[in-house]
Amino acid sequence: MNDLAAATAAPMTGAAAPAKIKVRDVHFYYNGYHALKGINMDIPEKQVTAIIGPSGCGKSTLLRIFNRIYAIYPKLEAQGNIELDGENILDPNYSMNRLRTKVGMVFQKPVPFPMTIFENVAYGIRHHEKLSRADMEIRVEQALRSAALWDEVKDKLKQSALGLSGGQQQRLCIARGIALRPEVLLLDEPTSALDPIATGRIEQLVEELKHEYTIVIVTHNMQQAARCSDRTAFMYLGELIEFDNTEKIFTKPGKKQTEDYITGRFG
Amino acid sequence: MQATSAEPLARDTEHRSRADARHDLIFRLLLRCCALFVLATLLGAALSTLWGGRDVLLKDGFHFLTSSDWNPVEDQYGALAPIAGTLITSLIALVIAVPISFGIALFLTEIAPNWLRGPVSAAIELLAGIPSIIYGMWGLFVFVPFMANIEPTLNDTLGNIPVIGALFQGPPLGLGLLTAGIVLAVMILPFISSVMREVFQTVPARLKESSYALGSTTWEVVWDIVLPYTRSAVIGGIFLGLGRALGETMAVTFVLGNSYNLTSSLLMPGTSISSSIANEFNEAVGLHRSALIALGFLLFVVTFIVLLIARLMLRQLARREGR
Amino acid sequence: MSAIYARRSITNIIALVLSGFATLLGLIFLVWILWITAENGFGALKLTLFTKITAYGADGGLSNAIVGSLMMDLMALLICAPIGVLAGTYLAEYASSTRLGASIRFLNDILLSAPSIVLGLFVYVIVVVPATALTGGSITFSGFAGSVALALIGLPVIVRTTDEMLQLVPGTLREAALSLGIPQWKLTMQVLMRAAFSGILTGVLLALARLAGETAPLLFTAFGNTYMTFHPLDKMASMPQTIYQYTNDPDPALHAIAWAGALLITLFVLALSLLTRIMFSRKKVSYE
Repeated sequence: MNDLAAATAAPMTGAAAPAKIKVRDVHFYYNGYHALKGINMDIPEKQVTAIIGPSGCGKSTLLRIFNRIYAIYPKLEAQGNIELDGENILDPNYSMNRLRTKVGMVFQKPVPFPMTIFENVAYGIRHHEKLSRADMEIRVEQALRSAALWDEVKDKLKQSALGLSGGQQQRLCIARGIALRPEVLLLDEPTSALDPIATGRIEQLVEELKHEYTIVIVTHNMQQAARCSDRTAFMYLGELIEFDNTEKIFTKPGKKQTEDYITGRFG
Repeated sequence: MQATSAEPLARDTEHRSRADARHDLIFRLLLRCCALFVLATLLGAALSTLWGGRDVLLKDGFHFLTSSDWNPVEDQYGALAPIAGTLITSLIALVIAVPISFGIALFLTEIAPNWLRGPVSAAIELLAGIPSIIYGMWGLFVFVPFMANIEPTLNDTLGNIPVIGALFQGPPLGLGLLTAGIVLAVMILPFISSVMREVFQTVPARLKESSYALGSTTWEVVWDIVLPYTRSAVIGGIFLGLGRALGETMAVTFVLGNSYNLTSSLLMPGTSISSSIANEFNEAVGLHRSALIALGFLLFVVTFIVLLIARLMLRQLARREGR
Repeated sequence: MSAIYARRSITNIIALVLSGFATLLGLIFLVWILWITAENGFGALKLTLFTKITAYGADGGLSNAIVGSLMMDLMALLICAPIGVLAGTYLAEYASSTRLGASIRFLNDILLSAPSIVLGLFVYVIVVVPATALTGGSITFSGFAGSVALALIGLPVIVRTTDEMLQLVPGTLREAALSLGIPQWKLTMQVLMRAAFSGILTGVLLALARLAGETAPLLFTAFGNTYMTFHPLDKMASMPQTIYQYTNDPDPALHAIAWAGALLITLFVLALSLLTRIMFSRKKVSYE
């Protein structure tokens, strides 16, 4: 099945890096509506892959299949194969806990839990691992440092996370995600609710995190894709139109539709 | 594959996933049982009162509903008087409370300045928060003497009108169906007016504005635009009030007078289903107690139907609003 | 033409004046009832109300009724709060769009205004009668039976507010927790409940305000007593039921005690609803 899919539709890549996630002939249905129509792509390891496209093109839908978060809603159905390190995560036998410790996700709006800053990060870890208090403190500090938030919150770890600014909350959510030591980090328009300065900090953070994580970022902001990704995928009406080096997509796109979109001639 | 060496924890996570799934299932079942408890309460209330009233229902059957002879000494139980009392007092309550509630809702949505709306609607809703026993005490100690004072005037005025005059003739006791109906009206006023106020606010501003633009007066906008637009919910609110009035006990028990005589006058004492139960239950034994529980069953069925209609009507507007 | 205008504007003015008058009438009744309660109640307040039991009649107090009410209200909350919160959670989290959920929500709204006296009869039939039969009459009416009846009054209030409050919690919070591999039950109990905590607490207080003033369901479940008891399986006095009894008595001295009790309950209930109103308005603001 995998070989067949690979043979019939050559996956688009543009990367010399080995593929972390192989998407093979993925279809998605929403109450019967065909939202993704046969997506094939290889997402390279330890690089930033951006997915762009107009609203409703299916970019967020695709991202939400990578950790099967869509499965919490009824009447949504994904078909095809998504291989993470060679194993199909759409297989019902692939355990949810395993998938979600390997694939972390950050959402559009910052959603800190109604707990202290420390607990926000520790909460997820605690479900998966039994750590001593000291080890937990180290883990939380590491995560907060990686998310470039430690210096701002180290003196108020016991305060509610709801008191942080929007940008700080979003970095806290990133810290919460990477505290589980995932291999893949999914970012769903992570800066759309933030001001330009906070956005800059998040982009800078993405740049730093890509050395350790495979990052997939969905964005409606083309400049953001151009600034911080290595590869860019352009989607339109549920199909993957083009997937290539970011530089190439933004300078010499191979398809007319891509060119129209990035030059703003699109509806 | 390359992943295996990096995952000594794989079996552990498999194990935890299965445990999580099991806990989720148990949790879900527990929650569902709690939710079904609500259904069980309603069903249980209906069945248990039917069961408790079986003796009298089996013995008298339909006659229980149509006979007005309620005589514990001879062990005869006809429920017509309490049924009539419940219906009459509730009807009086509606006749009084509906126009007043409409006036309050109109005042709060169209007339009152903004700074006045919050405090006044909070005050009206406060009426709903007063325990019903307080209504009962106020009714007995204050409102009954008040009514006794104005009843001679009622006799002389309304009592002289042909046809309906008979309703307002009788001794100035203060107690009676009319008094109970008025106390009930005050009690259900906040329920009806708050539903009306809420649904009036759902009328789109453009609808009202386009009517004002044609030169309509406030009254015309309310009567011709707002009321037709919200009709089903307004009726729902009225039925909600009716449901409350039918089942109310403490507010009417003191002021009804506890009499099983059917009369044509609203100024005469009467009884209602709920006040009969409250007054007699603890002294009743045998068939008498069964008759009182059967009355409870009857009350439950009637209020259930009324409230069912109320909720269905209210839901219609909610649907149209896309809520 | 101008005659039509004149008639229309006169109709309008009459309607508006009448609506103002209706509002005034509603407020007059509110003030009237509260004033009478305060006037009679404050006049009759005395320390012995809290220290003496009802056995001494006009020379006595309400202490056993106060204790009974507090105990039964608390037990009722202990019964209906967990069930109500979990049922409301089911509606919001598992059944927000299922047919079963819609029917339960609908019927819960009906239970919300069901006649309380019938719920009292229900508990009489399913608790008092079996208890009497099983114990050979040594346990009949009881504080426990009374609190079950009160719990049924409070239950739908809690179900409804919990349902509504959880639906206000943004869906992204659920996704965020699930994306960390947190199972649904943990997410619900530890994240969502915490996010909606003050709203759910509002519902519980609202339920308390409602059941604390109820009389009818207690008449044939707790029955009442004239002595001090802390045992939940004894017959138990309560404030509303004692007030009911004293009001029915011809003795004006008992009426005075009833008024004092009425004032205490009214203050308690109104203070609770004021508190919930404040909590609720704060809640609304923090969501926007």
